[in-house]
Amino acid sequence: MVRLITHNLLACHAKDCNTNNFPLEFKDIQLEIREAEFNSDFLKGFMPKLEWKALVDTARQLGDTSLPLEQPEMVDDGFLKSLHHVLLEIHVEEGSMTCPNCKHVYPILNGIPNMLLAEHEIG
Amino acid sequence: MPLTVLEAARVIGNPSVYEDENVHAIYEEIAEHFSSTRYKPWPIIASFLSSLPCGFIGLDSGCGNGKYLPLPADRPGEVWTLGLDRSGNLLQIARAAGATGVKREVLRGDVLETCWRKGVFDYAISIATIHHLATEKRRRCAVKRLLEAVSPSHGRVLIYVWAIEQDELSKRKVFDSSSGGVAPHKGKDVVVPWVLSKEPRGKNKNESKGHEQTPPDNEEPKVYNRYYHMFAKGELRALVEEAAKELNLSITMEQNAEGRSRGLEIVQDGWERSNYYVELKLWESIKPRGF
Repeated sequence: MVRLITHNLLACHAKDCNTNNFPLEFKDIQLEIREAEFNSDFLKGFMPKLEWKALVDTARQLGDTSLPLEQPEMVDDGFLKSLHHVLLEIHVEEGSMTCPNCKHVYPILNGIPNMLLAEHEIG
Repeated sequence: MPLTVLEAARVIGNPSVYEDENVHAIYEEIAEHFSSTRYKPWPIIASFLSSLPCGFIGLDSGCGNGKYLPLPADRPGEVWTLGLDRSGNLLQIARAAGATGVKREVLRGDVLETCWRKGVFDYAISIATIHHLATEKRRRCAVKRLLEAVSPSHGRVLIYVWAIEQDELSKRKVFDSSSGGVAPHKGKDVVVPWVLSKEPRGKNKNESKGHEQTPPDNEEPKVYNRYYHMFAKGELRALVEEAAKELNLSITMEQNAEGRSRGLEIVQDGWERSNYYVELKLWESIKPRGF
């Protein structure tokens, strides 16, 4: 599966695709929600590494509007619970991710994204 | 226990095609059997993962069956590792690693490529993977990808590769090349057989459709010869130093080295149970010193 925690890290790596190659756009997806154990310290430690706008935009595309547009300076439990759900409980099982720049399509099959490129696409 | 003497490998043609045939295709075939023999984490790797603070995220580059993805076992949910491998069959197994019902996060990808934001990970591990790359240049490239994957200010990296020097528990011995004049720091290219002795899978399964019986006795167990580059003493460290140099990373531990603001520290390197390992920590000096 691709959860949004992973999606927020991934960028296109096709040949000569270096700008505007993040975030990848989900298409034709099937979602599953699976509960995960909540850990507020993990979330606080991970937050500085997040690209916030990409996370919020993608969550909204998937129908989750619980996160604020701006990353809050003060975090309370309610916010962390929403963040936990968005990052760790929404699983994209099938579908694909498309690069916003070069339009390369990375398929998601059986819950596993295929980031392999063909020989001629490798930079 | 019979001792297998490993034969020399001859890497010919395009190394990427060679690896496809002599590494990737084989792991795809033997995934299930291979995984059933790989369950015990090695101590230095387990202790490295235990030492990571809460909130760290990491990359397991060449995760195989994902045995390191659930670690540290005593602190679930505090550290999060993304598994990367080329074998779809191994990744299917890795998804369920840890047997706790928790799904692990895995990607199908190549250790020589970078499909993430550079520097986004806090740590990266590469266990028993780089020795499957068929040229020195490709092995160095894999090390560079690891160094680029982690944070330039605090990223930590652990690399494990197979050693020519095998311990007494090993079932394998490398071909004797004392007459071949192998230079120091140069490892050896070998093929390591994997004997798939249980019921053959794939094509044979279809052929025996309708028969629940095991295949006839005269069927030979299938042997797959995987390519390995077995590392010589000092070779892994030299590879890391070369990779660091190409990335303009200083290898000294002094943070005020002339003209350098980024570097890496070799925290430890050594030999454990037939493997060489090296642990690295990246650093970035915040402002020039000495003024």
